[in-house]
Amino acid sequence: MNAIQTRALRRVFTAGRDKRGKSGSRTALDGVDLSIPPGEVHGLLGPNGAGKTTLCKILSTVLVPTSGSASVMGHDVVTGLAAVRPLVGCVFGGDRGLYGRLSGRKNLAYWAALYGVPRRLIDGRTTTLLDRFGLAGRADERVETYSRGMKQRLHLARGLVHNPPVLLLDEPTTGMDPVSAMDFRRLIGELRNEGRTVLVTTHDMAEAEAVCDRVTLVNDGRILHSASPQELSALVSRYGRVEARNVPDTLTQRVRILPGVTRVATDTDGVTRIELASADAAPPVLRLLIERGVTDLATCRPGLEEVYLHLIADRGMEVGR
Amino acid sequence: MNRYLAGFRLQTALLRRAFGDLHTLLTVPVYTLIFLAMTDGVHRPGLSTDAVLAPALMGLWFMAVFTAGDLIVWDRHHGTLEPTVAAPGSLAPVITGRIGAVTLLSFVVYVESWAVGAGYGLRLTVHHPLVFLAGVVATAFATACTAAMIATLLVLPRNAQIYQNSVSWPLFLLSGIIVPISALPDWLRPLSRLSFLYWSAGLLRSALGTHPVDDALLRLTAVVLLGTVGAGAAAFLLRKVLTRLRVLGTLGYS
Amino acid sequence: MSSPLACPARPQALEVLRRAGAVALADLAVTYTWRTWLFGRVPRKLSQVAFFALIGRVVGGEDAERFLVVGNALMACAVETTLVVASSAWERALGTMPLLVSAPAPLAWAFAVRSAQWIISGTGASLVALLLLGPLFGADWQLEMIPVMVLLVVLTAVGTYCFGLALGAWVIDHPAQRNVVSLLANLLMMTICGVQVALDHWPAPVQTLAALLPITHELVALRELLDGAPLSAILPDAAAGALVGAAWLAIAVVAFGRVGERGRRDGTIEFGA
Repeated sequence: MNAIQTRALRRVFTAGRDKRGKSGSRTALDGVDLSIPPGEVHGLLGPNGAGKTTLCKILSTVLVPTSGSASVMGHDVVTGLAAVRPLVGCVFGGDRGLYGRLSGRKNLAYWAALYGVPRRLIDGRTTTLLDRFGLAGRADERVETYSRGMKQRLHLARGLVHNPPVLLLDEPTTGMDPVSAMDFRRLIGELRNEGRTVLVTTHDMAEAEAVCDRVTLVNDGRILHSASPQELSALVSRYGRVEARNVPDTLTQRVRILPGVTRVATDTDGVTRIELASADAAPPVLRLLIERGVTDLATCRPGLEEVYLHLIADRGMEVGR
Repeated sequence: MNRYLAGFRLQTALLRRAFGDLHTLLTVPVYTLIFLAMTDGVHRPGLSTDAVLAPALMGLWFMAVFTAGDLIVWDRHHGTLEPTVAAPGSLAPVITGRIGAVTLLSFVVYVESWAVGAGYGLRLTVHHPLVFLAGVVATAFATACTAAMIATLLVLPRNAQIYQNSVSWPLFLLSGIIVPISALPDWLRPLSRLSFLYWSAGLLRSALGTHPVDDALLRLTAVVLLGTVGAGAAAFLLRKVLTRLRVLGTLGYS
Repeated sequence: MSSPLACPARPQALEVLRRAGAVALADLAVTYTWRTWLFGRVPRKLSQVAFFALIGRVVGGEDAERFLVVGNALMACAVETTLVVASSAWERALGTMPLLVSAPAPLAWAFAVRSAQWIISGTGASLVALLLLGPLFGADWQLEMIPVMVLLVVLTAVGTYCFGLALGAWVIDHPAQRNVVSLLANLLMMTICGVQVALDHWPAPVQTLAALLPITHELVALRELLDGAPLSAILPDAAAGALVGAAWLAIAVVAFGRVGERGRRDGTIEFGA
């Protein structure tokens, strides 16, 4: 049994009528099939509007699918509502969703009660979590006095308060400082060791590579590709790029004919972008540039959007073939 | 003139969007109905006139306190105060224009209470139309001036809004808009003369009555004079607000 | 946290109510300090009660005065408790809606208590008005009447709170209307429930509507108490008031269930910002 399973999952939003009385609709998820085995940390990677949050909403039971099905630990999210809810912990990024006027401790105790944590366990559970997330020192102060990072840690603690086997983390590092983001990666490791299944959405490729057992790339409500972090990193280096300044025209011509170079273009600022089709295409390009005295240069990983463009283009070719 | 118009237009647009700001207009017909029902069958001359006039005056006042009075505070909350101040030209015309829009809209309260009165079978005749008209205009002027004073007053202390609610009912009592001031303790009565609503209520009441209106000019003058004092206070306070804005650098909530 | 994962237990209503009470108390502490309550809120209520009681003095002498001081003093708590309409909408602003919906406990449990602070401040306001202003306008409370009076005030506060809660369930999906809705509710109660004018002033259908609203029956009971009626006469009216309050609570519970369902279908329950 998979911890999370979706089949042909589809969600269409009907937007309200506009001023001219026309009603539109938007497809946020379009036939998503996803299987996540228990204990896996699974990354859902995609740009804004790809459908990541919609999937999280459906799995956390705050949204019903238009068609298709989704289940958590074998329980359907629509028909098995009562069984699903206690199994899922839900955390979203940013600092909303907390009671600012309550202390951190009371916030946790409140959610523990709402999740049916037995009364005798609530106090111990909240204390343990406050310790674990480094909030013990200010546990009894009002949350509105917390820093942003502390609020995010409290959010994570809140998601764990009922000890759920499945955790949904929707853009959990939004607005986190680098140190907190590091802590966050360590935490994901701990959650994995505890045997929890984690679905984490992000638009940060490096983050997905660092913490996930498997990554699914989504775009426009559809799954583009599922990969291990190794495959992802290969994919990324495949679409690497070298950028250099002050490259003479004659040299540009020579670079263009090197193996693995797909495109060379110089913009008006004098920056030449050399796009590569494989990871082993970079060393000869760099060697040639340095030999000819070009030292103002850098290798770049492609942004998520570029990888997407490549992937969509590749798939288009497959379809066309 | 442009800045007056700009303020007027802005406020009209804001009011059209945020119906909630106009909740006073919902209360006027209900208070009229309540007062009419309360005074039903009580034979005291002028009482039913008061039952219609009082809700209108209360409505005018509530509009001044809650809709116009919140102008600057609203701007501060939404971070639009600083850009308005930073724009070239003076802030006063913009505020005057905006309060003008609210005050103009306030005339609806007369229509509302009159309509409820008519629906209740009450036939009011304006026996002294000129006095009545002058009274209504002078009252609008004084209301606008007082609203400006409240708008600037509410910006200064931090907890002002908690007390914003508290002044209205004592003022209604003090102004004798439905309960004659003779029902108040003696020592309170001189204070009534400091409220423009006291003079307005008296004047409008007389204008509706059959008897000749005594001291019409004197009472009109009192309304206008008290309004002018309010405007003066508003101008003084606005200068204070602006000075504070410039010295402290900000009026926004930190 | 090394214990076996998840111990799905059914949420315990009492525990949820107790913990949600903390939210209410925290909100109360922020809304009022002793100083702002005593010097801001209470004088405002007292002056409004006095205003209407004085109209009574003008129009009808001692009886009208007493009628109005009791009616308006009790109404003071309804004005306070219907703030639940607005404070229910606060959950949307806080961003806690998706978390409340996805939790196993019914949505109504959390909402039923999270605004209970208004019951406390409302009860306080009415009691101060009844005890302080009452005697000035002909309501002479005997010492032995006080416990029943307190009970009736609490009953009114809870009943009007439940009424507001049901309206709050509607306002959750229309947050911009929160102030207008609570205002209309208050004006309705003030007009037809025997606060300002006797119930029989209105036509029969209006009287029927009044009987379905909270405060109407409690107000009858409170005036009976003041007139020295025996407990056996007061009790049926108090019970009717409690029944109306309970009915509104039931409506609120059903309505909040609908809110969750509708939100899940329409996709209006937003995550994060």
